[in-house]
Amino acid sequence: MEKSGSADSLGSKRSSSRQPSVDSLTSTNTTRSDRSAHLRSAVSPDAASARTDLGAEVLKESSRIAEGELQLLPRESVQDTASDVTYICPFLGAIRGSLTVTNYRLFFKCLDKDPAFVLDLPVGVISRVEKIGAISAQGEVSFGLVCKDIRNLRFAHRYQEGSLKKSIFELVNKFAFPVSNALRMFAFEYGQPFPENGWKVYDPLAEYKRQGLPNESWRITKANEHYDVCETYPATLVVPANIPDEELKRVAAFRAKGRIPVLSWIHPETQATVTRCSQPMVGVNGKRSKEDEKHLQAIMDANAQSHKLFIFDARPPVNAAANKMKGGGFESEDAYQNAELVFLDIHNIHVMRESLRKLKEVVYPNIEESHWLSNLESTHWLEHIKLILAGALRIADKVESGKTSVVVHCSDGWDRTAQLSSLAMLMLDGFYRTLRGFQVLVEKEWLSFGHRFQLRIGHGDRNHTDADRSPVFLQFIDCVWQMTRQFPAAFEFNEFFLITILDHLYSCLFGTFLCNSEQQRLEEDLPKRTVSLWSYINSQHEEFTNPLYVDYANHVLYPVVSMRHLELWVGYYIRWNPRMRPQEPLHQHYRELLAKRAELQRKVEELQREVAGRAAVAPPEKAGSPAGSPVQTCV
Amino acid sequence: PLSKNPPEQHFQLSPAVRIAPTNPASFWLSAGEIVVTEVNFVRKCVGPNSSPDDLWGKLVCTNFKISFVTHVVYDLLPLQKFQYTNRLLGEHDIPLAGVEQVVTVNEAKGKQKVLGSNQKLKFSPTELMVYCKDFRMVRFRFDEAGPDSTKKVCLAIAHYSQPADAQLLFGFEYTGKCFHSDRANGLDPGSSLQTALFDCSSDWDREIKRTGASDWRVCSVNEGYAVSPSLPEFFVVPASLADQDLKQFSVSFAGKRIPMWCWNHSNGSALVRMASIRDPLQQRNLDRRICSAITKSHPKCSDVLKSDLDRSLPNIQEIQAAFVRLRQICVIEPFEENEERWLSSLESSKWLEYVRAFLKHSVEVVYMLEGQLCSVMLQEEEDRDLACVVSSLVQLMLDPHYRSLGGFQSLVQKEWVMAGHRFLDRCNHLKKNDGEECPLFLLFLDCVWQLMNQYPAAFEFTETYLTVLSDSMWIPVFSTFLFNCPRHCAERSRDFAQSESIKLGENKALRFPCVWYWGHQFSVKDQALFNSPLYVGKSVTCVHNGTVKTFRRTKKSHSATLRGPPSLPNGLTVELDTLTRRNSLALRLKPDPWQPREVPESPAERFSCEWLSRPVDLQGLLLPQLLPSHLQLWRLYFLRWVPEAQISRGGSVMAFHRLSLLADEIETLQNQLRQHRGGTPASTPASTPGTPDQESSRMYFKAGTPDDLPSTPDYLTSSFPFSPVGNLCRRNILGTPFSKFLSGAKIWVSNENLANETL
Repeated sequence: MEKSGSADSLGSKRSSSRQPSVDSLTSTNTTRSDRSAHLRSAVSPDAASARTDLGAEVLKESSRIAEGELQLLPRESVQDTASDVTYICPFLGAIRGSLTVTNYRLFFKCLDKDPAFVLDLPVGVISRVEKIGAISAQGEVSFGLVCKDIRNLRFAHRYQEGSLKKSIFELVNKFAFPVSNALRMFAFEYGQPFPENGWKVYDPLAEYKRQGLPNESWRITKANEHYDVCETYPATLVVPANIPDEELKRVAAFRAKGRIPVLSWIHPETQATVTRCSQPMVGVNGKRSKEDEKHLQAIMDANAQSHKLFIFDARPPVNAAANKMKGGGFESEDAYQNAELVFLDIHNIHVMRESLRKLKEVVYPNIEESHWLSNLESTHWLEHIKLILAGALRIADKVESGKTSVVVHCSDGWDRTAQLSSLAMLMLDGFYRTLRGFQVLVEKEWLSFGHRFQLRIGHGDRNHTDADRSPVFLQFIDCVWQMTRQFPAAFEFNEFFLITILDHLYSCLFGTFLCNSEQQRLEEDLPKRTVSLWSYINSQHEEFTNPLYVDYANHVLYPVVSMRHLELWVGYYIRWNPRMRPQEPLHQHYRELLAKRAELQRKVEELQREVAGRAAVAPPEKAGSPAGSPVQTCV
Repeated sequence: PLSKNPPEQHFQLSPAVRIAPTNPASFWLSAGEIVVTEVNFVRKCVGPNSSPDDLWGKLVCTNFKISFVTHVVYDLLPLQKFQYTNRLLGEHDIPLAGVEQVVTVNEAKGKQKVLGSNQKLKFSPTELMVYCKDFRMVRFRFDEAGPDSTKKVCLAIAHYSQPADAQLLFGFEYTGKCFHSDRANGLDPGSSLQTALFDCSSDWDREIKRTGASDWRVCSVNEGYAVSPSLPEFFVVPASLADQDLKQFSVSFAGKRIPMWCWNHSNGSALVRMASIRDPLQQRNLDRRICSAITKSHPKCSDVLKSDLDRSLPNIQEIQAAFVRLRQICVIEPFEENEERWLSSLESSKWLEYVRAFLKHSVEVVYMLEGQLCSVMLQEEEDRDLACVVSSLVQLMLDPHYRSLGGFQSLVQKEWVMAGHRFLDRCNHLKKNDGEECPLFLLFLDCVWQLMNQYPAAFEFTETYLTVLSDSMWIPVFSTFLFNCPRHCAERSRDFAQSESIKLGENKALRFPCVWYWGHQFSVKDQALFNSPLYVGKSVTCVHNGTVKTFRRTKKSHSATLRGPPSLPNGLTVELDTLTRRNSLALRLKPDPWQPREVPESPAERFSCEWLSRPVDLQGLLLPQLLPSHLQLWRLYFLRWVPEAQISRGGSVMAFHRLSLLADEIETLQNQLRQHRGGTPASTPASTPGTPDQESSRMYFKAGTPDDLPSTPDYLTSSFPFSPVGNLCRRNILGTPFSKFLSGAKIWVSNENLANETL
């Protein structure tokens, strides 16, 4: 997939603006796979039109190089190459070739095939490396790689017993898990310069200003500047204007992990707000906190339109109640007058992890011919997607139609809460449906509010059984994709954008998704030491743009949250299957039509100019003759 | 406002007589249509319970339709309106032929009855439920209406929706009236129709030439239906078979159906359909002779491969059962109730499985023709059902001509109407033999939709077109869907003419209009809904000037991995398979993730896989992807009446809208260009009214109109151009889900159960 594209800005030859640089092209891609060429042409229709201005030779050249050869990224270095490795492809059977491991990727190629077979993936997507079985009679050892992106890879290679040379898979093991091996993640090596610094995409003050904040009811506080109110929250918070900073600390004492209720979004007209927090520390004895009650009252009072406050607890009621045993719980309606508590029945990270595991079983490598739908149903994946979307829809509807402020929380307020607040904001505010707005949304609701990416993804961590891993962010992106399906013209970004985000969620090429909180990111100095994913994306945004996009000002999107409309995202989950060709992209056709229109417009203008010119020379009475009257012209 | 645009001013095709006293805008009668009875002060329900939004009006039963005429102009939201006008049917009208079941209810007395033809009704109904074949469920309440006229209307509806004889179908009245009126047979503006009807030998001739089938000829042995009752008068056979042979062969075939040519591949392979050989003694001999004739007609004398459809595809009853189950889950069961089991219910309906089976089988036939370069013989017992689906699908995949609007219509004409698909029986228009009913044509349209869904730019027409075409089956006016075969059509027309003592001119028969004369139903503007902007936009030839490139993906290695069949050394596979598995891995995962699941791949699948790995040429072969995950429910058709499933300001229409505006602009520019080229140095360049170039655009949404605002019209919903408002009223007042009565039953609500049911 990396063989083409006009990623001029990425390469070393950036100075020559429209010149494609082959190595740079390779450099940016991480969705390396045996299906990679396929994938690119699938999800990035735009590449086609972007490519049209390239000379044909260049294209040919680039594809020749990219087809069989490893293109290293800056500071990527080859660790070892083993020839005589067999990739046991679940679709094509055994393929013999050579395997190269670098500090960033695993690269397998077989040149006997025409065109060359290439498997190219960042080692970051590997979740575990397993030796399968004993050494065979032929002296071969099998290795299996379980990947985070819904595939498993299996290799076999000759291994000399007692040989001093280590198996190449030990190297894979080493570089796939830098954290466990006390190595630096590749993101800290990769220093590709981009024209734009993606770390600057999100400026909290600018975003709050866009929302009209501060205003008379809400103030921006620096109380958490040193992360001592809440270490998992961002430095900049928006709280009710009449709650002083000292009180915030007392509220923090009553909320799990100190995650106090703070504003995420405010309705530009009604002033109804979406606020987020963690569960109250009610415990079995039903503890109360005056400050917390006052805080929620202040949130309600900030919205003059309604004398009610809705508290959406993302959990099933049973789970919420069970949390009381651990000191947590939920707001009682006695303590919080005028508040109505609603449970949204979304399950916890463990249930979600299990659901994805089942889904992988159903979709990879092959899909069973019969019982596809009931197998899919038994994974409950879409059901979970539905509950999350339904929860977000209820929140959005309360805010928009009910003009009521809402408080959203789950247990810790960094998983389900992030899903719900960000999806509700996506429904409510068209800004977040733009390419940049979406980046702001992810930076704000996920990264700055401390979704624990490191823990949920397990970057570079060998411990694949870690109970903290969960596909929470994947679910969010899946929900976004579901919305783009229902509203094909409401989002500025396309499917390729969403897939790219997911691929780099695991690749560890960019610093964006590293660490668990804003505080940690600053400690690690990520903005200085790593490149942001948004730097890459924004420097070739055409690839990620949906040409059908219309900016519907102030349109609130209400997706239909029903199994009748939810679909499995085949373009993501089943993309490795060679029997799947990505949907004929409408976008590509649209772009072709756009180009056609531009061409025609140019022609018409040209002709008009020509005609005008002729008219000027022509005798006056003819120039003034009525339109359409026959004039002697060339036959 | 609800007041409907009357059929347009320049109304020429369908003579409509408007009735004066009622609201002139919302009720009209078509030619030959008469009012049977009517009742006033009726409420049409828009939800399961009474609602202030319910519509008040008059319920009319004519010999053609159930009409609901609203007295008041309701100020409904635009999204509650249909976005097109049918010239034969108002928005609230239901053609009687589209009525599946009529149920009357008396709430107070706790009685319900399913009304058949000529039945008595012992109670006066307070409510009428009409279940329609197109999945609508309409409910009327009579709280304020006179009991006698109410009863009369209900009985009339029941009676007229179940005609005892084909001649009672409205199409006869309609056509007869049109014949008498001055516009006699002017109904067929033959010139404008780009659809070959295949009712004359010249259409077949042209088709032979178009496909380059040199060793095939049109035969006329069946003129006057002298040989086979169900074959058309003209069809195509191998040139090496003489008429005498054909006559002799015909005796041994079911229905005396001589094998009939469908289509020729450019490589010379032919697609032929054939009924079973009834005479066991003749079987082998006949088979051999037919095959050798077909082989002789192949330029390379390739073998003939046979495809036994009965053995590999579901039968009529199974398809009907699947359809009934699908209807059950889509519209009858309460929306929320089956949400949790939706996917498995959808699966157990088997509808998608059957859609997939037909597509898959067609791909296999395509492989024989294209990959193996062989002629193919489709074999089916009667050759009038499954073969229609398969042969049409094969041709759609192989021949881009059939993916144009005119081509598609010709295809239906050739493989369905002329080949003798028994539309009358399969539609069950006479409601006589439920065992014969089968939505085979809808299944075919669904298959086409799946292809269209995967390759939207390859088809000239839209899914709205497919939906409207399917709905037209329930308007018993069109010859297309009224008869079982061409002979049937000819005979019925002749008989009717005689009984009405219509003197027939040189045409010999009354000519029923065929559905392809869309002017009977839609204005030119509404017909623009049929045109796909992607197809239209692209068909505009672009001036190549070095700057505009062709956009076909030229990358050779569309997918590097998919070339060719996997050729693995056998020893290696065996060795790998015997490796002992490590239990740590195999513990939780039932299928061992490391063990490539053996998916036996047929040559056709490999062919398909290889094709999928290459860039698509939309003007060439088109194969569907057939992983079960790639088939989708045709939501527009099956869910358009379900209010809960309607996405407001969403759905694929949003993309359609955007694309249409762009395609329209392109067309306009193209016209301007042509004008300039035509050498009209107009100082006001854009428009010269009256020139042929100014023909109305082919797009429904036009650029430069209010539609082109940044905000998209509010009425765009996923149900566009239909509206679910008032068209799906599930009655749940009984407290018992209707589904309880329905398991396995052919009719929606079975008689006995309901008669005994008390409230």
